[in-house]
Amino acid sequence: MEIPDFQAYRGSEPPQFQNGAELECAKILDYYAVPWQYEPRTFVLEEGPDGRPTEAFTPDFYLPEQDLYLEVTVMKQSLVTRKNRKLRKLRARYPSVNIKLFYKHDIERLAQRYRLDLAS
Amino acid sequence: MPDTARALAGANARADAGAGPVGEVYLRRDEIAARVAELAAQIDDDYAGCDPILVGCLKSSFVFLADLSRALGIVHRIDFVELAGYGGRDTGGSSAIRLLKDLDLDVVAQDVLLVEDVVDTGLTLYTLTRTLGLRQPRSLAAVTLFDRPYRRLVSDLPVRYVGFTVPDEFFVGYGFDLDERFRNLPDIHLARVGDGG
Repeated sequence: MEIPDFQAYRGSEPPQFQNGAELECAKILDYYAVPWQYEPRTFVLEEGPDGRPTEAFTPDFYLPEQDLYLEVTVMKQSLVTRKNRKLRKLRARYPSVNIKLFYKHDIERLAQRYRLDLAS
Repeated sequence: MPDTARALAGANARADAGAGPVGEVYLRRDEIAARVAELAAQIDDDYAGCDPILVGCLKSSFVFLADLSRALGIVHRIDFVELAGYGGRDTGGSSAIRLLKDLDLDVVAQDVLLVEDVVDTGLTLYTLTRTLGLRQPRSLAAVTLFDRPYRRLVSDLPVRYVGFTVPDEFFVGYGFDLDERFRNLPDIHLARVGDGG
């Protein structure tokens, strides 16, 4: 996966994208000069009796100017039950954290919209 | 002119007829006109005596801008901008967004009202407000025909007037295109696009 020279990236380490949808999302954010970070924070969702984390969640993007976390998934919407459950846990435990889940459907719409110049 | 009316009616009839890309009517022209009149009345009140500049964001907003302008009672000026759209996988990284067409008017100390077809993720409006904000207008606000607030990625956008909050569908007609076609349809239709995601 070829990583472009991002201009609006605000992280210290080069981003290691998991899939093409994450890269595409990063390129769109960068194109519109929206500052972004990649996986800057892991949220602990559950701890064991010894206090060690047993479940955690790391959103893909953080937009610091928007104070918004963005999770991108390429799974079909019907298969994201586990991820949705994690998001519910995160929202319950960290109610002040703003996070949005972008499904495969949303990314495809976004890319299609910008490429085809449809009703964007 | 009767021939024009017949031609427009014919275009809609053909669009509705088969399994083409133009689907059912989502908003009729009379519904759009009524809402545009309401928006114009609000803007008339808010900008009374201000001589604002309406800035249309090309291309899809041109029909909405034309109707809104004619519905306004206040004196106003019109200008246009066009941003280069995101070009897909070959874009991004070192390729930053740019203006394909800049304003002709000077907006310093002026009241600027951006006229958008739709605000979705907000990325386009974010770019425009940052770009035009640097030119020190007296005020900067936006009116949009369609809004999808549930898809917003950027906040603090100056969206002051909204025509309709719409579902996550593609539309054609009334300025909205499908591969640069069907902008002329007087009603707004649902578009049948690919597999629909």
